[in-house]
Amino acid sequence: MGLFGLYRERRTPLHRAPAWAKMLGLVLAAVWLAWCTVPAWSVASTVVAFALLASTLPPPAATLRGVAPVLVIAAATGAYQLWQGDARLAVDLSSDFVSLICLSLAVTTSTPLDESMGLVSAAARPLRRWIPPEALALVFSLTIRAIPELTRILSESRDAARSRGLERMPRAMLVPAGVRTVGYALAVGDAITARGLADEALLRGGRAAVTR
Amino acid sequence: MIEFQDASVVAPGTTVRILEPTTLILAERRVAIIGANGSGKSTLARLINGLVLPTTGSVTVNGHDTRRDAAAVRRDVGFLFTDPSAQLIMPTATEDVALSLRRTVKGKDERAGAAAAALESIGLGDKGSVSVHALSGGQRQLLALAGVLAVAPSIIVADEPTTLLDLRWRAHVDTLLAGLDQQVIEVTHDLDAASRADRVIVMDSGAVAFDGRPGAGVAAYRRLMAST
Repeated sequence: MGLFGLYRERRTPLHRAPAWAKMLGLVLAAVWLAWCTVPAWSVASTVVAFALLASTLPPPAATLRGVAPVLVIAAATGAYQLWQGDARLAVDLSSDFVSLICLSLAVTTSTPLDESMGLVSAAARPLRRWIPPEALALVFSLTIRAIPELTRILSESRDAARSRGLERMPRAMLVPAGVRTVGYALAVGDAITARGLADEALLRGGRAAVTR
Repeated sequence: MIEFQDASVVAPGTTVRILEPTTLILAERRVAIIGANGSGKSTLARLINGLVLPTTGSVTVNGHDTRRDAAAVRRDVGFLFTDPSAQLIMPTATEDVALSLRRTVKGKDERAGAAAAALESIGLGDKGSVSVHALSGGQRQLLALAGVLAVAPSIIVADEPTTLLDLRWRAHVDTLLAGLDQQVIEVTHDLDAASRADRVIVMDSGAVAFDGRPGAGVAAYRRLMAST
């Protein structure tokens, strides 16, 4: 499942903070990290980011599983810069990587997707003449939901190709994965329709347009 | 009450008729639809929720035409799919049920409370913050059912809801469906489940081959399978 579905109900300060404030904070932090190139400040930012993540009391095993690949990339980036002889850049880049993932996780673990959908919907309100905001929020949640499903489909298709001794033939993995992805998309479409979510998103969009 | 009036379905972009003109009134509390693969069972079920629209004729649910008043039909008809994976959209169980409630419960806290109550009522009270990926197949099907029941539809259409489940979960889901107050239309290959219905419809080659009491329906289905 990776980094998705990490939200847990807690009573921490970040859980109580509004979603918009956390998103704004994340954007400002990203700008700060990109702007700041002093290694000491980058390391200090990483400590703060880690503390913020820890304050949300995330599920340890799932969080570590999700963070591990990013840590590997950060370490590899730092090692490459060291090899290039730039220790300052090595510390700055790898710290920024870790800081950003910690801050993103702090938002993810403390914000229910329902609230994020509300935020997307509110942010999309100026576009309501062209796109129903609720529909956009639904697309946002579906995109997040689709990532682990597509990962699973790819993994299963690769295993199926391997089991037939076709691991060296990309087509043997990509064609079934593509077909299954389309099948998954159709099934999700049916489910959204059956649950009345599409009707509701379009109705609310229509209402918003009427009351505009 | 569900009413099919000469409803037929032609596969999109072709002239292949996947459901012959069908006229039915479904008013019984428990209706089972059985038949071979590709016989038109799922098409018949999907017509009830408006997932499939009739090419000719009409389908009405509690007076609402599925073609003209789809949103009202879907408020009345909950649909349970064979594979719940595609039906579950949000990352955790509580969030997924809360998503169903967005159209009826406006407050965030009220939604979370109602979702927790819906999960509790179906035996998933301790799974609210668990990722849907971490749930077993049976638990996912229960969660899908909780999402459907949360909005209190008057009719549940279940398209082979126990096909992917082991015997224990199959019995559990069967028991839950049997205990619901709603009218339940179940497409199934489970002849024991069909035998417990009030009425059985046997489909064959896109047409109703039998419509009547469960004992005679199951016998008709067995004869049909033996003859082909």
